[in-house]
Amino acid sequence: MSLASGAVLSGLGVGLNSAVGEVFFVKPQAPLPEWTKSSKSAADETAALKTAIANVAASLAALGERAGGTSAEIFEALTFLLEDEELFELAESHIDEGWSAAAAYGKAVDTFAELLGGDADFDERVKDLQDISKRVQADIAGIEMALELPEIGRLVLVGEDFSPADTAQFTKAVVGVITLKGGPTSHTAIICRSRAIPAVVSCGAAASLNNGDTVLVDPVGDRVLFGGDETLATKAISFVAINDEPLIPVRANIGTLADAETASAKTDAVGVGLFRTELLYLNSKVVPTVEEQAAEYAAILAAAPQGPIVVRTIDAGSDKPVPFLLMPHEENPALGVRGFRLIQDHRDFIEDQLKSLEIARVQTGREVWVMAPMIATVQEAKQFADLARSIGGYKVGIMVETPSIAALIDQLAGIVDFVSVGTNDLSQYLFAADRMNANLGALSNHWQPGLIRTLARIADGANRGGFSVGVCGESASDPAFAVVLAGLGINSVSVSVSQVGAVRASLSALDLAKAKEVANAVLVATSPEEAKAAALDALSQL
Amino acid sequence: MSLFTHEVEVLDPIGLHARPASQIVKLVKESELDVQIGRPGEEFVKAKSALMLMSLKIKTGEKLTLTVETTDEATAADIAAQIQEFLKG
Repeated sequence: MSLASGAVLSGLGVGLNSAVGEVFFVKPQAPLPEWTKSSKSAADETAALKTAIANVAASLAALGERAGGTSAEIFEALTFLLEDEELFELAESHIDEGWSAAAAYGKAVDTFAELLGGDADFDERVKDLQDISKRVQADIAGIEMALELPEIGRLVLVGEDFSPADTAQFTKAVVGVITLKGGPTSHTAIICRSRAIPAVVSCGAAASLNNGDTVLVDPVGDRVLFGGDETLATKAISFVAINDEPLIPVRANIGTLADAETASAKTDAVGVGLFRTELLYLNSKVVPTVEEQAAEYAAILAAAPQGPIVVRTIDAGSDKPVPFLLMPHEENPALGVRGFRLIQDHRDFIEDQLKSLEIARVQTGREVWVMAPMIATVQEAKQFADLARSIGGYKVGIMVETPSIAALIDQLAGIVDFVSVGTNDLSQYLFAADRMNANLGALSNHWQPGLIRTLARIADGANRGGFSVGVCGESASDPAFAVVLAGLGINSVSVSVSQVGAVRASLSALDLAKAKEVANAVLVATSPEEAKAAALDALSQL
Repeated sequence: MSLFTHEVEVLDPIGLHARPASQIVKLVKESELDVQIGRPGEEFVKAKSALMLMSLKIKTGEKLTLTVETTDEATAADIAAQIQEFLKG
């Protein structure tokens, strides 16, 4: 079907800028066929294997040429493995046994992978071998492997949803992104927000676009315009500052030293509202010592923007495993032993983390708040608070992500100094909708009335309990939503580094009474569309 | 044709890994000679497959024997010397 110029495809916008580009469809990677015996002659299969190896060698050469420098050497080394003589001879012997070319090469690679296995020096080579094996099998089956994106041009990528492996390959030619599925907290949305790539997600109608179509990605308008140009982009509400400082402090989300430095150098963030510590551990094979951890923390604390620094203790689980903490496979990692629940088996590690933070706090003289993720009961909150207070002189709080603790906020009075709401996980648990399930993206929309009412109750509970309540999920990075949060009684927000300026602008454009009006207008909405429209309507009348 | 035997020592701290293995294979293929490598007393592998060489899992400090089948003693010595160079890391 063909679309008329100006046709509107609705979705959920990510970001504040628009982009015009050419549609570039990315087909989902089809699964590789099962290994089978062949009905063709051994000579035919051997010829097919030779052709596939030559094709893969050519594509590796092209990738190498594009990458240049040291990356080119990596592709050269891959080609060397690909064309290994013994590997080919072993594959030939499997073909002689009757296996198809793809199966024969796959089996031969598995044999060598096993021979090289169990030796840390060869781990990477085994991965390379398996990568080559997949490329050869895909070539034989006629399946396209991975993204091969041009470096030049103005591309708007369109796909079901994009994996971390896909987004890592986005080139500078990618000016916009459209996903048919996936919500505002999908991996794609988070990456696009942090890299300031305009995106529209959950846009099922984009399936009718064709390669080469010119489209306007208009995130502010929650839509894609077929044949549109920049003049048709929905203008973000331009907030006119009436105050020097925002209604509530806007802090930055960080995970690394580089993030801390960027947040200090490029934003007016007041401190850090979410320091994700697991990034420091995901790549270590052995437990870092307290001294090593303290040194890393001290460097990051020292570099962070002025203001309090809210540190979240390790938030790992079997889907996000830390190599040195043994995390057995779980059927349902989002509902498994993760976050503070790791204390069951890894109390020493959590204590060491708190000790390291205390050393770094004293050394840098920074104001540090610590909080534990995945707290479901008041007892767990108390257990963490008692532990943290026995180790250090920081403020102590918890993340609010489970519906159970959201219902009990007022009971945390006298136990915690603060709470911070992680709206991404709270949505996932509240709506029983897996964040990573692209088919359920619409339920992760932060304008869902069920989430907004829950946030209102959390804010109310914290205000009655006399402790502060912040929001550090992706929702706070939406400038209009940040106003709603302030109106609901949230005391601070923490946002992606790239969004600090935009959120500060919206929160500086009105007083608290007006923010409450906006929040009240939103609270009566019965659908996410209605809620967002109510907020934008109220804000446009400022 | 005669078989010339030489000894080399792996000095590369990571052992006989992908890079030296590839260098050896390139050299041997260009020479068009039959070169085999192995631990003394164990089964030897033909030095025309980097994967075979790597699968020996030879670590730094190990001494290896290599045999070169050629008519020219000097050629064999030259190949052995170049392989020793690759194994220095």
